Amino acid sequence: MRPVERPIAGMLALSICGSLALVLVYAAGGQPQLEGTLLAVSLGALGAAVIAWALRLLPQEEVTDVRETEPSPPAVRAAATSALERGEEQLTGRRTLGRLLLGALAALVLVVFFPIRSLGPRPGRSMFHTEWQPGTFLIDGEGHRIRDGQLAVGSVITVFPEGHGGSPVSQALLIRVDPAQLALPPGRGTWAPKGHVAFSKLCTHAGCPVGLYRAAAHQLLCPCHQSTFDVLRGAAPIFGPTTRALPQLPLRIDEDGYLRATGDFSAPVGPGFWELS
Amino acid sequence: MIRRLVLWLDDRLGAASFARKALRKAFPDHWAFMLGEVALYAYLALLVTGIFLTFFFTASGEDVVYQGSYAPLRGERMSAAYASVLGLSFDVRSGLVMRQIHHWAALVFVAAIVAHALRVFFTGAFRRPREINWLIGTSLVLLAMGAGFTGYSLPDDLLSGTGIRIAYSVLLSIPVVGTWAAFLFFGGEFPAPVTIGRLLALHIMLLQGLILAALGAHLAIIWHQKHTQFRAPGRTEDTVVGSPLWPNYAMKSAGLGLAVFAVLAALGGLVQINPVWLYGPYDPTTVSSPAQPDWYIGWLEGALRLMPNWELRGFGHTIPEPFFPGVLVPGLLITIYALWPFIEQRLTGDREVHHFLDRARAAPRRSGVGAAALTFVVLLTLAGSNDVMARFFGVPVEVVTQVLRGVVLIAPLVAGWVTYVVCRELKAAEGRPVPAWHVVRRGPGGGYVVEDEEE
Amino acid sequence: MSRRTVTVAAVMVVLGATVVAAARSRAQTPSPPPSTPASAASGDVRRGADLYALHCASCHGVTGQGTDDGVTLRGIGAAAVDFALSTGRMPLADPQQPMVRRASAWTRPDIDALVVFVTSLAPGGPPIPAVYPAGGDLTRGQQIFAANCAPCHGTAGQGAAVGEGADAPDLYEATPLQVAEAVRIGPNPMPRFDVGVIDQHDLNSLVRYVLLLRTPADPGGLSLGHLGPVAEGFIAWLVGFAGLVVIIRFIGTTT
Repeated sequence: MRPVERPIAGMLALSICGSLALVLVYAAGGQPQLEGTLLAVSLGALGAAVIAWALRLLPQEEVTDVRETEPSPPAVRAAATSALERGEEQLTGRRTLGRLLLGALAALVLVVFFPIRSLGPRPGRSMFHTEWQPGTFLIDGEGHRIRDGQLAVGSVITVFPEGHGGSPVSQALLIRVDPAQLALPPGRGTWAPKGHVAFSKLCTHAGCPVGLYRAAAHQLLCPCHQSTFDVLRGAAPIFGPTTRALPQLPLRIDEDGYLRATGDFSAPVGPGFWELS
Repeated sequence: MIRRLVLWLDDRLGAASFARKALRKAFPDHWAFMLGEVALYAYLALLVTGIFLTFFFTASGEDVVYQGSYAPLRGERMSAAYASVLGLSFDVRSGLVMRQIHHWAALVFVAAIVAHALRVFFTGAFRRPREINWLIGTSLVLLAMGAGFTGYSLPDDLLSGTGIRIAYSVLLSIPVVGTWAAFLFFGGEFPAPVTIGRLLALHIMLLQGLILAALGAHLAIIWHQKHTQFRAPGRTEDTVVGSPLWPNYAMKSAGLGLAVFAVLAALGGLVQINPVWLYGPYDPTTVSSPAQPDWYIGWLEGALRLMPNWELRGFGHTIPEPFFPGVLVPGLLITIYALWPFIEQRLTGDREVHHFLDRARAAPRRSGVGAAALTFVVLLTLAGSNDVMARFFGVPVEVVTQVLRGVVLIAPLVAGWVTYVVCRELKAAEGRPVPAWHVVRRGPGGGYVVEDEEE
Repeated sequence: MSRRTVTVAAVMVVLGATVVAAARSRAQTPSPPPSTPASAASGDVRRGADLYALHCASCHGVTGQGTDDGVTLRGIGAAAVDFALSTGRMPLADPQQPMVRRASAWTRPDIDALVVFVTSLAPGGPPIPAVYPAGGDLTRGQQIFAANCAPCHGTAGQGAAVGEGADAPDLYEATPLQVAEAVRIGPNPMPRFDVGVIDQHDLNSLVRYVLLLRTPADPGGLSLGHLGPVAEGFIAWLVGFAGLVVIIRFIGTTT
C-alpha cells in the first residue's frame, strides 16, 4: 500500500470496527449514547475515507460544459406555438360548447368543497358558551366539590363545573384574596364571596392556560407570550399582547358551604375571533 | 460489472447516450454550493429514520393508561399517541436514538435550507433564468417548516400541544373565515380528538409528497440549467467549470452525505432532544415554562410576544390581536420573499440572463435589503425566547420585551443601511487604485512639507 | 500542519469533548442541606428573643408588627420562619432585593429558637409540615407537579422567569422539608397550597417526584439544562450546522 493510501485504509478499518461494535452493542440490548457514537464513527470514518479518496487519490481534473442557450431557436419556438394554437383553435372555435366546457369545470370546483366541509363541524354558538350554569358546583381535578375554607388567602386552584371535570373550555382558576383589596368592575359586587374570585384559565390572547400566579402582587402571568392580568381588578390586562380581561365567573357560597357558580362567564372565553363583538 | 449494468440498461432504455454526457457533467466545487446538499442529505436522514418511527407511532388521541417502563408516568392516563412515543423511547431497542436523530435532522435540515437560501439571495442566483427555482425553493422552505411543526407536535406532549393550541388561536384570528378555518382544519373546537390523526396524515403523506415533488423539480431544473458559478479568470457566462460527476463529484457528495449522517448520529446519541417524558402528556388545563417552539417557528412566536395589545373592533366584529403578528406580518414577509426576483427586476430594470454570481458587495441595495430582513427575522427569533434571556441576564422579562420592541424596528434599518454603505464602498474601492502613502516632514521654518514617496 | 488537517483535528476534539461531557452529564449534585428540625418546640425562647432583637427587629419591628422594610411576622407561622432561615433567605441585607436562597447563616438551635420566639408573638400561620416522600406515589406526584408547579418551576424543576424580575428558583437544592414548607406558606412570589388544595398524601407524592427530578433519567444524553427548544436550536446551529460548514469548507473550493 502506498503511503498516501494508509490514512484512508485506517479510516475504512475504523469504520468497519465501528459498525461491528454497533452490532454488538445492539445485540447486547442497546444504549443510546453508544449507538449514536458508534453509528457516527462508522458513518463518519467511511465518509472521511471517501472524501480523502476523492481529494487525494483521484486525479484532480476540471471539466467544462457549454451552457445551452435558452430560449430555443426561433424556428422551434414558432413550431411549438403553432402546435399549441392548433389545439386551442379546436377548443375555442366552437364558442357555445367551449363556454359550457368552462362552466362545467367551474361548477366542479364547487363540488370540491363538499369533502372540505366534512372536515369539521360548523363553529356555531359553542364559542360563546361554556358548561357553567347557574348553581353548578365548583369541583377540583379529582372531582371533589370545593368548600369555603378549603382555600387560604393567597392560594390558587384549578376548578371545573361539576360533571365536566377536566373540561378544556370551562377550566377556571379559583383564587382567594383579601376581600378588602378587591376592586372589581362595577356590577360584580356579589361575584366574590369571602374573597373567592374565579376567572377563566384560558388566556384571551392565544388560549394557553394562564398557569403562573404571583400571589403577593395578585397578578396572573401567561407563560406563552407574557400576558399579565391584575386579579384584584377583575383580571384586567396590565402587560403583554392580550387585549381583553380574563372572563370572570360569578360565585356564591351555598347553605352547606360549597362554592357554586351563579351563571356563565362574563364574556366568551379564550382568544378573540371575528364574530366576537 | 457496472459496465455490464449500463449496457443492459442501454439495451432497454437507450441509457448510454444519457450516461455519456451525464457522467462527465461539470459540477462547480465551491463550498457554498454544498449547503443545499447538506439539506438534501439531512432530508434523506429524516426519511429513513422517519419510516422507522412510523412503524411504532400510534396517531390516536384516544385515552390509554400507561404501563411501560418509565415509572413516574406508570398508571397515568394519556393519549395513545403519547404512550406510543414513550414506548418508542424506553421500550424499543434503538428507538430513542432513532427519535433523536430524526429530530436533530429536522433542526439541521431547516438550518441548512435557510443558509442555502441566504447564499442564493446574496449571490443573486435567483436572477433570470432561475426565478422558477426560487419559487420552488420558497415552497420548500415553507413545506419544511410545516413538516417540522406537524412532526414535533405528533407526540402530543405538554410543550408541543401548547404550540398546537396557539396555532389554532392564530387560525381563529383570521377575519371572516377564521372560525371556519380553525374548525375545519382541526376537526372541531379545540381540543378535537381527530387532530392528531390529521397531523400524521399531513406530516408523513401530504407534506412529504409535496416536498419530494418540489425537490425533484428543484434538482431537475438545476441539472438542466446547470449551476451558477463565481467569476474567475478563464470563466465565461456561457460555460460552467467544475469536477466531473463521475467519479470525482459523486464521491465528494457521497462523502458529504456520510458526514451529514455521522454528525446527526452523534447528536442523536449524545445530546438529548425533546424529552417528552419530562413534559408529561398534553393537558389543555396546564402549561409549562419556558414554552418555546422549535427554532424555525421562533420568529412567529417572537412576533406574538412583541406585538403590542392592539386589536380592531367595530360593527359587531373583531380582528383579534394575534392576526397581525401571526398572519399579516409573516404573510407580507413571505410574499415579498417569494416575489423577490421579480421585485428586483422591477427596481433595477435588469432582466438579463445571469449565470455568474454576484459577490455581496456587487449589489449593495440587494445586500442591504437582505441584511435588514435577516436582522428582523433573527431578532424576532430571539424575542421568542425572551423569558429565557430574562432569566439568563437577570433582567425582568417585561424590560426585555419592551427593549426588543424598539430594537426590532430600528436595528434592521441600521443593519440594512450599514450593509449598503459598506458594500458600496467595497465595490467602489475595487475600481480605484490604492492611494499612495506620502511622508510628511516638519520643515526647519515650522511648516509641514509633503515629500513624495521614495521608490 | 496543513489547514485541512487542523480542521479535521478540531472536529475530532469537539466531538470527543461532547462524548465525554455527555457521559458525565447526569445527576445534579445538590449542596448539603441543613439538618431538619428535631422539634420546633425544643427551641429556647430567650435565645430566640435575643437573636431577634439583634438581627430581625430593625426591619420587622420590635414586636414583629412590621415596618416599611419588612412584613409583619405576627401570625406568620412556624413553617415560614423555619423556611426563611434555613434557606438563607433571611437575614436580608437590602429589603429592596428579592428573597433568594443563600448559604444559611444560622445553626439549627438558632433557627429553632427563633421559630419558638416568633410564633410566640401571635398565633396562626402554617405549622412546620410533616413530609414523608417514601410514602408518596411517584405518578401522583408527577400529576400534581405538572398541574401546579411546572408552570413556574419548569417541567424538570430547573426554574424559570415569572415576570417583574422574579425567578421561580430551581428545585435541586431544597430539602424535602423545605419543599413542603414552601408549598404550605407560599414564599413571595409563590402562591400557597394549603391542605385543602394539596393534602398530606399529595404532598408526600409531590416531594417524592421533586426529589426524582434531581436525578432525571436523561437517557438521551446531554440535557442542556432542560431548557428545551431554545438550547436545542443553539446546538443545532452552533454544533450541528457549524460542524457541517467546517466539513464542506474542507471538501469544497473557495473559487
